[in-house]
Amino acid sequence: MREFTTDELARYDGRAGAAAYIACNGKVYDVSGSFLWQQGRHQALHQAGADLTQGLTKAPHGADLLERFPVVGSLVLQTIEDEQDKGGIK
Amino acid sequence: MAKVTREVVERAGVNVDQLLELLVKNAAAELTTYYYYTILRFNLIGLEGEGIKEIAETARIEDRNHFEALIPRIYELGGALPRDMKQFHDLSACPPAYLPEDLSDVKEILKVLVEAERCAVRGYTQICNMTAGKDHRTYDLSLAILNEEIEHESWFSEFLGEGPSGHFLRRGETSPFVFKFLR
Repeated sequence: MREFTTDELARYDGRAGAAAYIACNGKVYDVSGSFLWQQGRHQALHQAGADLTQGLTKAPHGADLLERFPVVGSLVLQTIEDEQDKGGIK
Repeated sequence: MAKVTREVVERAGVNVDQLLELLVKNAAAELTTYYYYTILRFNLIGLEGEGIKEIAETARIEDRNHFEALIPRIYELGGALPRDMKQFHDLSACPPAYLPEDLSDVKEILKVLVEAERCAVRGYTQICNMTAGKDHRTYDLSLAILNEEIEHESWFSEFLGEGPSGHFLRRGETSPFVFKFLR
């Protein structure tokens, strides 16, 4: 299963023809085919390409709804070393 | 637009543009549901279908009432409906309640109906959460609609064998919660 960093996930925001992926509880889901995620946007509140684990705590639904969508990978957290390698942290 | 009406909601901390987007999306869900439920109701035929016809019809009319009740609030807050109705359809907060492939199975139609109501329950719960204590009029309106959507869900889910709905169907009235917004 493919592993996504947050930067890689951000490329799949559903805009300009990109697929729409969202992460939740470490899994990455492909919501491109969903009527409720057109252009990667969901209910005026969320954009695909992000980890929505925290957002789910305020949603009027649970993670069980995500089980309708195919899992395309897992989200790996970027470490400080990764950031330093990219020159992000001096 | 009601200028002070919008200002007080903004000052209470509500993102009014976001709220308007949700209200328009849910209004689209109501009008499209009214259309799709018309088709669904006409296909509830035979002995099995007859028992469901009345609740499908009541939900259909009440969803149309929800659309009518939402529109003034959208315009009060400075929003508007899209000029193009096709665009309006496609931005709906809920997926289209299409007729299922197998029309001989009333349960399949019931599943479409209950999923549409569940989407609406989530949508109005979201709006109530956003507006509670901050935008009293939108909260009052959304709560009224939510009450009716919850009853719709419970009726359909009861027929799917998910347990008692807890109440009777409407007794010759429609929109007992929303009617005050339909003056």
